This record gives sequence, structure tokens and C-alpha cells, in this order.
Amino acid sequence: MSRAVITGCGVVSAFGVGARVFWDALGEGRAAVGPIRHFDASGFPTRVAGEVPVLRTDGAWLREYLGGRLPEPVLEEWEASGALRDRKIGFGWVAALEAWRQAGCGEDASDTWLSMALGLEQAFLEDFGPLLRKEGARTSIDWAAEQGAPLPQVRFRSRIDLCAGGLVNMLGLTGPVVPHVSACAAGTLAVVHAASLIERGAATRVLCGASDSMVNPLGLGGMSRLGAPSPRAEPDACRPFDRRRDGLAMGEGAAMFVVESEERALARGARPLARILGWGSTQDAYKTTAPLPDGAMARRAMQQALRRAGLTARDIGYVNAHGTGTPLNDPAEARAIREVLGDVPVSSIKGAVGHLMAASGAIEAAACLLSFQRDCLPGTAHHRERDPECDIDVIGERPREARVDAVLSNSFGFGGQNATVILGRGA
Amino acid sequence: MRPVVVIAASAVSALGLGWRGLGKAVREGGTSVTPCSALGGVLAAQVPALPPAQDVEPRQLKLMSRGARLSCVAARSLFREAPSLPQEEMGFFLGVGASGGAVEELEAMLDASFSQEQFELGRFGTAGLGACNPLFAFQLMNNYTLCHAAIREGLRGPNAALFSRGAGTVLALAEAHHAVASGECDVALGGGADSALHPVTWAELRREGAEGMVPGEGAALLALAAADHGQPLGFLQRCEVYPGRQGLARALESTRRSLQTLRPECVVLAATPQRREAARELAASVCPGTTFETAALFGEALAASASLAAVAALDLLRDGEVRRAAVLVMGPDGDVGLVGLVNEVAS
Repeated sequence: MSRAVITGCGVVSAFGVGARVFWDALGEGRAAVGPIRHFDASGFPTRVAGEVPVLRTDGAWLREYLGGRLPEPVLEEWEASGALRDRKIGFGWVAALEAWRQAGCGEDASDTWLSMALGLEQAFLEDFGPLLRKEGARTSIDWAAEQGAPLPQVRFRSRIDLCAGGLVNMLGLTGPVVPHVSACAAGTLAVVHAASLIERGAATRVLCGASDSMVNPLGLGGMSRLGAPSPRAEPDACRPFDRRRDGLAMGEGAAMFVVESEERALARGARPLARILGWGSTQDAYKTTAPLPDGAMARRAMQQALRRAGLTARDIGYVNAHGTGTPLNDPAEARAIREVLGDVPVSSIKGAVGHLMAASGAIEAAACLLSFQRDCLPGTAHHRERDPECDIDVIGERPREARVDAVLSNSFGFGGQNATVILGRGA
Repeated sequence: MRPVVVIAASAVSALGLGWRGLGKAVREGGTSVTPCSALGGVLAAQVPALPPAQDVEPRQLKLMSRGARLSCVAARSLFREAPSLPQEEMGFFLGVGASGGAVEELEAMLDASFSQEQFELGRFGTAGLGACNPLFAFQLMNNYTLCHAAIREGLRGPNAALFSRGAGTVLALAEAHHAVASGECDVALGGGADSALHPVTWAELRREGAEGMVPGEGAALLALAAADHGQPLGFLQRCEVYPGRQGLARALESTRRSLQTLRPECVVLAATPQRREAARELAASVCPGTTFETAALFGEALAASASLAAVAALDLLRDGEVRRAAVLVMGPDGDVGLVGLVNEVAS
């Protein structure tokens, strides 16, 4: 059986573009949730987010990071189509190319799979304007008029797989595309799927990870209607495991990885950043709107991951928690962590960069790499008051220095999907 | 790796609820299209109204997209047929389609958000959001196509939702197959659920070139288990995807080689109009005279197409019509999916 290793990592986050930028910020204990700037959110119930610091993810921005990978006419076509209004498309491309470069993959993309978690389609509500018809008190959409209306090619919404399709063409990937859409568990599932493909011998290299942005009107508004974000429009909106926590902060960005078999990586002289040792996934099968309060299925996912990795609880030196900062998630997860792993150091980076939804598991896997790169465990931004209901060793706002050889990361999705991955030191 | 068998199946399609008989219907080449009012009278393969006992409880509907509703119907039907399956540990891997919220919710939201044909963010943030069902977001989250069914049936094993416009569902079946073959779980559901009858989805398909396309919808599930688990309906021998986005010719050639080793006695073909000729040629080159097409029966059901074709193929095996069947999927995603099913005796 081949062991899967990570040889490249790219990140786009609220701290900016680049894995190094991300690791530097986490290592310094900074946080980047703040007022939304790329659209006017002043009338929204939630007005802060972990927003990537770019106002428009247009051709000019992409040109800076993609270099010649995307020929100018193709980039112009993408821009003219209206698709780049969906910020996650550009984030995913930029992060993927960084991972690709860092891994030293060069021009050879043969037989490389793409396992990518993608958020929901971004809705372009403004496109409906020319189709709205008012009859008395009722407004309807005149779908028949759609083909003659002056609308962009990508209208109403961005198709989920656009980002992945763009990457396939840009890099010339010839393996299958696996588009994961398991909400907030999807990023982790995309990474572990890559590892599984390597272990079972179906692939020797997989570009994997996730990109998402729900920091847009319908994304932000829809989540607000569910009551998930903190009602406070403050930089410390998300306070994971804190007694005063009252909701999440939305975030956006991407984290992509090159995962390959250890033999292939070593043969070409690549330096593994981490090994993917084990994983597990379960379903709460509880309620549409809430996680299982006792964390039983989260516990089972962690136990599966330990078993698959051939490790015991004592081997895990750090847990990157899902840690949304919501009243219901954190106690359930804390209980599960306590029962499975005992007194292990735990942190959540969601107070620092927000909740990246489908990309949360991927960016949190990238955060885990900090512990191997710099012997530094990320802190939990805005965690100040211990909550007896979250009886675990939460790393506070400052990162903690420690050398660990195995770390565990949890991701739990709306709808009850749970995923856990265990990473090990690469070398 | 353990051999994997199919021990139960279910489907909801334009022919109604049930999978037995789908093989015969596909073989006879029937059609089930009717005008679809949601699409302005376009001929579509739409699931007929189901009796309340087979449908989702009305109070749940405000939480569900059409795809999620169909997934729930198919899952409940499967467990009615096979009530002794171990749901608590069961895996679940589903191909799902795009978000598909209720159009009337969208219209109410837009009505409150536009002023003189201009979308106004301020109005949307207050009145627009206030005009729609607070649970509208659940209709838009497409992983709920899997989650609603898992919650209703208590499925707590390994799981993943994969976006699909054709071959993605074959990948979901492959993951269910792997979960069982590798011993990760003893039983896993694999399949797909979707509706192309949502106006936004249909508009998207039309822009890509939908000439000759019949929009469809449905859901179909296969319960997979290790070979020593229960009475098999057939062996799931192969689930493969050949990427066509970097060149269809190469994908077709790889598929042809795989089909030749499978030696199917029939090919059940779920191909979108743009790729139908290429698919027909491929199927005919391996299995002349015995290609059965699903397009007129199920329409272009996107994430559901591959699984509907698979249960139809399974039905042909069960009827003793064939001993080895292949399912060839060429949906709008541009990839080629191949599923191989064999009769237990022949294996």
C-alpha cells in the first residue's frame, strides 16, 4: 500500500495570498475578521467576515497570480462570461497554482486527478432584473424572455464545477475530477479522498483541496436567516469555545494541496510537508438544523481515523477543531474530543479567518502544517473566557510552541456530515 | 478487497416509484415525456405525483430541494424493500445536482429586492431576506440531497456527496463500492438524485446547447454489500470514469478497452444529445444490436442519469435477459462513466 504525502500547499485567506502569508499570520497570533468591503453589507444582519483582501477577483487580479498559465484570450473569455463574479473560482485557481509550484510539479500533469471541494453556486441576483414581470401584487420571472435578454453567459448562478473545469484546462490534468459538495465537511473529504486514491493505487498524484466564498449577498443573507453567524458585527464575532460565543463569522478563501505517493515524491526529490495517516467519516443522522448534542458521531469519526492511522490517542499532539463558535457545535465537539483524546491541545482558526464553509477543512489542514513547519500550534483568536461546557485544553489567542508528530483535524458539515483527518510529520 | 454485490435497489423516475420493470421499459424503448408547466410546457420526463404514503411528509418540503425530495423517496422505498439492512453503520455516497430552491421563494425575494429593474443590496439585506422562508438556505445546500435521506433513515456510516452532471454519480458508486470492498463498511448505498426541471438548471443546459434534450429528474440507489451478505441481485464489477474534458477521443478509447474486457451482452446508454452519436458508436462497436437508451424514458436527469441506468441494467440481469450488462454514461459534464454489472451465476 502506498502512503499518501502532501508535497505542495497553496492558500488564499483573509490574510492574503500565499501559504507563507497564512502561516506567518497564524504563527503571530493575528486575526483578520473585519468589515466586509467588496460589497455594501451595511443593510445586512451580518456585516463582518474573514474576507480575502481583494475587492474584485477579476482578470487584473488573476493575471498577477496566474502568470502565463492562463492565456490572455482565455482569461478575457472568463472575464466576459461573468463567471469571475464568483470569487471562489479565482481563489481556487490561485491556491492550486501555488500548491503546484511548491510541489515542483512542472509541466507534467499526466494522470493527475483533481479532488476538489466546492461551495454552492454563487447566485447573481442582479441578473434577474430584465426578466422580472409585475402582475398586480405578484412578481414573477419571465423565463421565456431569458434567451433574448442582455445577460452575461454565466447568469443567475455560477455552476459548481467551473473552478475545477478551469483548473483541468489550465494545468492539463488528465485524471478524473471528483467534485466534493459535502458542505463544511467537503474540504476534508476532498483531501482524504486524494489519500484514499493514492493508497488504493488508483492514482499516483492528486491535486486536492477546496475553494469557497459565501461572502456574497445570498450566501451571507441565507446564513443570517438561519441564525448561524454571530449577531455582533465585530472583529471578534467568532469566539470558539469561549463562554460568550454566539455564532460564527463567515469566511472565504481556498487551500489546495498536491498529494502523491510517498515513493513518487521521494523518487523525484520532493520534500513531503506531511503524511496523510488516517481518516474517518460519519453522519449524525440526527436533525436537519443541529448537530448531535453528545457528539457521538464526531467521536466515531475520530476513532475511525485513529484506527486507520494505527495510532492511539496519546500519539495525537494537537487537534485543529471544527470549532465554529456556535452555541451548539462547540460543546458537542469538545465532549467528543475529551472522550477520544483526553487532554490534547485544541484550537480553532475560525476566529481568525472565519468559517470557509466547503473550504474550511482544507484551510484547516493547511493550518495543521504549521505545526510541522515551525513547531507552532495555532491559537484560537478571541478565545478569552473558558467555558465549563467545553472542557478541553483550548489554546488561547497566542499560538503555542510545541513539537508534535501527529495532528488531527475535524470538519463537521451542515446536515450532519462529519470528517476527520490525521496528518503526520513529513520527514 | 472483497467482491461487491447489489442486494437491494430503488428508483423513482418518470415511470413512478419502483425499479422492477425499468429494464423492460428501457429495452422496449418507451417514452414518458409530458409537458412541464414549470418550464413553460417543454416536454420533460417528470416524476408523477406520488401517493402521500410514498412521498415526503408535507411539513418537510419547505426544507427540501426537488432532488432531496426524490432522494428521500428512493431511500425510503429501498428500506421498505429491504428492511433488515443495518442502517446505523451503512455508508452513503450520492451524486447530487445543483442547488434548486423553490422558484416562488426566489420570486418573493426578488420582488422585495428590486426597484425599477435595479437590484438594491440594501433592500435585499432587509426586505428581500425577510420575504423568503427562513429555511430557504436548506433548499439551496445540495449536500442535503444526501443528508435529508440519511437523517430520515438513520444512515450513520461513511458518506460523501459528489456534484454530478453525469459521471460524478459513477464516482459516487465507485466510492460506495470501495467502502464495501475495503471493509470500511459492510453495506453502502450508492446512487444519484437530481432534477433538471428547475428553471435555472434548464436555462443553464439550454445555453450549453440542449437541442434534442428532454429534461428529466429522478433518483436511484443501489445497496452494495460484501458477497456473503444476503441474496445478491447482481455483482457490481466495475465503476470507472474516463475524463473527456481533455479530449473525448482518448476517453472513448479507454472506455472501449474496458468494455471489451467486460464483454457485456447489452449496453444501457445514458447520453446527452451532444454526445449520443459517439456513445452509440462506442456501444455498437462492443455490443452490436443490444444498446438500450434511457433518454426518452428518464430524460437528461443529470446526477440521477447514471444510477437510473444502472438500476435498469440490474433489472435486465434479474429478469434473466442478460448475464453481463454495461452502463455507459455521457452527460453534460463531458466525462465518460462506465458501470459493469454481472449476474451472480455468470460470475
